[in-house]
Amino acid sequence: MMNHPVFKKAMGYAKRLSQMRLDLRLILSAFCAMGILHIVATLAAPAMMGRSAYDRLSSLLPINEMIVLQPITPEFQPLPFLTPDVRYAMCRYDTADAPVIVMAELPGRGWSLALHSPNGDNVYAATGQDERVTRLRLRIMPTNDRFMGLTPEALGISDTSEKPQIVRSARGIVVVRAPDRGRAYSPFIERDLYRVQCYSETTQ
Amino acid sequence: MHFVLHKAKKRLQAIILRVSDWAIFIGLVLIGGLGSSYYMLSAGSSLTTRTIGPWSTWKHEGRSDADPYTRAHFARTGTLNLTTEVANTYLTNQDSNGAFLHSSCEYSISGKQLDAQWWSITAMNDRGQLIANPSKRYTFTSDTVAISPDGTFTVTLARDARPGNWLPTAGAGRLALSLTLLESESAIAGDAEGEATPISLPEIKQVACR
Repeated sequence: MMNHPVFKKAMGYAKRLSQMRLDLRLILSAFCAMGILHIVATLAAPAMMGRSAYDRLSSLLPINEMIVLQPITPEFQPLPFLTPDVRYAMCRYDTADAPVIVMAELPGRGWSLALHSPNGDNVYAATGQDERVTRLRLRIMPTNDRFMGLTPEALGISDTSEKPQIVRSARGIVVVRAPDRGRAYSPFIERDLYRVQCYSETTQ
Repeated sequence: MHFVLHKAKKRLQAIILRVSDWAIFIGLVLIGGLGSSYYMLSAGSSLTTRTIGPWSTWKHEGRSDADPYTRAHFARTGTLNLTTEVANTYLTNQDSNGAFLHSSCEYSISGKQLDAQWWSITAMNDRGQLIANPSKRYTFTSDTVAISPDGTFTVTLARDARPGNWLPTAGAGRLALSLTLLESESAIAGDAEGEATPISLPEIKQVACR
């Protein structure tokens, strides 16, 4: 074993490492370089990690239209860790041309509505309350620096009688989650999910 | 001639020594920098995650003020999660003794009725994919789980059918469990962990292994 060429070579490297002078400047610069690499790798990771949830769902969801997804099963699970404990309705919104209206009723506890940016952040989130219907009317406005067109109010075509809550976001996904209470409740849950609306003000 | 060869050999040795010093330096920097970043993105630290028994959750999940580690973590997993303002999603791939969950073993997940408006527990493989099974059971929620008269519940994670709340694991290999708490009193919203009410999450015990 001691005479084995690989062992000898390894011992040679170990001896050389032990003979290396401890250069304080070298050690400090190694730590600095590690820190810089750590920061760069962490900040660059989201851009280098391949397809985000937004990218993965883009092929399933037309723009500014609410889609009720079929129940999540092993055969249909568009995202990892997407759990079948809830039924989903999703709308991929884009406010480049006009603001987008989202109207939803959350009929009880367990229900939620969230606006996710393409990075996955929640731009807005609301949950349903026990034995009370939560009515939501959101108007997703483009962020100021991107919107180049006239608002429907400026064109005189929007109904301004009811003031919706304003949310500023250029694009993303509206996700409505409805708790799955079993097969007996499915028709009622689906009926409520199909009532959720998401449309561009130009198509009003 | 011999002297020139000897000099060239010495010079070559000096160059190799210098290059190997740099190689060691660059190797250490790459391992330290990339390795620490990978660890922080995968497992997190007490700055970014909250751990209760085997369960852990990311404190800034789904938030627009999330730290870079949380952002990179969720970009890597490619998931769409609710913000910690309204929900906490706890994940684990280990039992309460720290052993990895595996479909060759049977586990009991037991706890008291959880302190949340609504909650769910889902079994998946370690890549976050649901486990196909003939009974089409993948999850239990606070609406569907059978609760004992004393307010406790037990979910059994096993390959073969079990009485009560059974989640089949088939032959999935390594397992992961997801526990979602909606509007919990103990929700951790960002850095406000200190203000959160303490919570006890279900215990995961290994019952038997094949």
